[in-house]
Amino acid sequence: MSIISKIKNSLLDRAYRLFGKEREDIGVNMQFSVITLISWRNIAANKIRSFLTIGGVGIGIGIITFLISLGFGIQEMVIREITKNNPSNVVEVSNGSLENLITLNDETMEKIRATEGVTRVERAVNIGVKFYSNDTKIDSVLYGYTRGYMEMANVRIKEGSTNFSDTEEKVFVTPKLAQLMGYDNPADIIGKTVQYEVIISEDIINKDIAKKQEKEDIEIAGLINDDSNKNTSLYAVTMYDHLKEDFGLTGGQAGKVEVNIQADLNSIRSRIEQMGFSTESISDTVTDVNSFFNVIKIVMVVFGTIIMSISAMGMLNTLSVSLLQRTREVGILKALGAKRADVFKMFIFEAAIISFSGGILGFSMGYGAAKGANAIFNYFAKQRGEDVVNFISVPMYFVIAIVAFVAFLGFATGIMPARRASKTHALDALRYE
Amino acid sequence: MGEVKIRVENIKKEFRVGENVIPILFGLDFEIMKGEFCLLIGPSGCGKSTLLHSIYGLEPPTEGKIIIDGKDIWSYSKDWRAHFRNKNIGFIPQQAFWIKSLSVIENITIPAVIAGASFHESIPKAAKLIELVGMSKWANHRPYDLSGGQQQRIALARSLLLDPQLIIADEPTGNLDHKAGDELMKLIEDINKQFGLTVVMVTHNPSQYCFGTRIINMEDGKIISNETQAKSCAIEAQAKSCMTK
Repeated sequence: MSIISKIKNSLLDRAYRLFGKEREDIGVNMQFSVITLISWRNIAANKIRSFLTIGGVGIGIGIITFLISLGFGIQEMVIREITKNNPSNVVEVSNGSLENLITLNDETMEKIRATEGVTRVERAVNIGVKFYSNDTKIDSVLYGYTRGYMEMANVRIKEGSTNFSDTEEKVFVTPKLAQLMGYDNPADIIGKTVQYEVIISEDIINKDIAKKQEKEDIEIAGLINDDSNKNTSLYAVTMYDHLKEDFGLTGGQAGKVEVNIQADLNSIRSRIEQMGFSTESISDTVTDVNSFFNVIKIVMVVFGTIIMSISAMGMLNTLSVSLLQRTREVGILKALGAKRADVFKMFIFEAAIISFSGGILGFSMGYGAAKGANAIFNYFAKQRGEDVVNFISVPMYFVIAIVAFVAFLGFATGIMPARRASKTHALDALRYE
Repeated sequence: MGEVKIRVENIKKEFRVGENVIPILFGLDFEIMKGEFCLLIGPSGCGKSTLLHSIYGLEPPTEGKIIIDGKDIWSYSKDWRAHFRNKNIGFIPQQAFWIKSLSVIENITIPAVIAGASFHESIPKAAKLIELVGMSKWANHRPYDLSGGQQQRIALARSLLLDPQLIIADEPTGNLDHKAGDELMKLIEDINKQFGLTVVMVTHNPSQYCFGTRIINMEDGKIISNETQAKSCAIEAQAKSCMTK
């Protein structure tokens, strides 16, 4: 007798004594292991039927697992890519539109910096530039970054050194730009001097200190990583302070504001927006991505529910047929003294074994198929020189949900046949033809 | 005089079919002593099986009491009766029923596993009983692979597993040929004598009347005679002469 049965019996004995009644001796129930073994043997004895039923549940769970792991994986991959260079506690600040002349000048920078919860403010500017090299003129974009901005934007220097003063006339170029300047091997341009001419809007320069915008020499300090990895980008990066000092730059069009993790991001954003700037946060994009994937997940849940309903009906059918075929078994068990609870458990366990076997099989198949699809994708990606990605993910709560669902499925489909079996009268069952 | 094993007191049974009430048993009274081999005989539909099932605790009587070992079995709950049956009564149905997915020897252990034992614990005892009924070599077969006579031997072994003091058999030879039926009857008789078990059995077969130490003859739900061994063979002879005519 198990410890639980002993405790239960002891409590019942006390309760009966308390009310001055004699407790009927109804013996003990069948052992869990025996009931499980009989249920298992019955499943094993009907191999084809059990295989089809377990297979039905397995396919249902497998399809759901495959879709969900794909859905979650792609969602995570997209968010991972989006947030890679954009932490969620950073607000992107810009002057919104061409008509909006507000810039991130020293005054507005200070105001933002003074806002509660803001830990850091960095700015950037982008201006037009013409490079002259080897009798070639190339129109491009020149970004002026502060070092803090470069760090926050995860701007990666591919080759060359950043060990120079912020006011020095040095620039980084993309490999493509270097090639257009006449260097087939882009690395050869490092250390070379080319001529450049900037085109800066008058709205962001201090005319009193600004140099005349004309051709000047500038040293190529290094190569900057081309974000697209396709060697197509044409831009250059220099230090913000160099542009400020040389051309009287008064402000930038874009900035990054880092806020305290605990701070209220939305209220800080609205304060910045009240100054006339536009703000963006990666959380907006993440929310949009999540909303999109939530719709996908709802569709998958509906799809999964339909599949599982079919599996559940198949399972219910199997268990009902099993009950009909075993009516006489139920009869003899009851005639020999089996209690209702024992018979009930036998059928419920059978349902549980079917649903759990189907669940384990389906989950393994679904997850395996998803991982396989990922591996095939990566194989072709590698052959094309692309990065390997992982777009398969199964969150722990989904695993718990599957376990709970499988338990529910077993119970829900098993309860009807189990109740019917347990209520069957022994004599009716023995007389059953 | 021996100890009373079963006392049947004013047992009445009616079946309700739609609006109609069909009386089956009309106030039966009798006693069966410990160690007796009691045969319930009578024509089909006279209520033998209904009475037997009431004694076994499966068919509730409409009125009256069935007292086994001093316990009025119908005054207790269903679960109590199930436990009582399991612990105290061995049952041999007319047609043996089995758990198909279990082997012969595992089927013999069923009363023990119902009582809370494991298969492992019950197999040694089942092995002794299967030997007793001469079916050892079939132990690991599926029960439905066996002939009707062999199945009934296994059913007898199953009924003895928990050392019951009472065996209830509902026409156990009903589906067997003459030879197999006789062999089974001899086995039951041996066990009755060897272990002093009380046996209550329904039979139609007059050639088996000699096995009974008490014969309760029923007709239309009433007992028309309740005789002990002295007169059993006379009843058998009478039955045989009736059949000859």
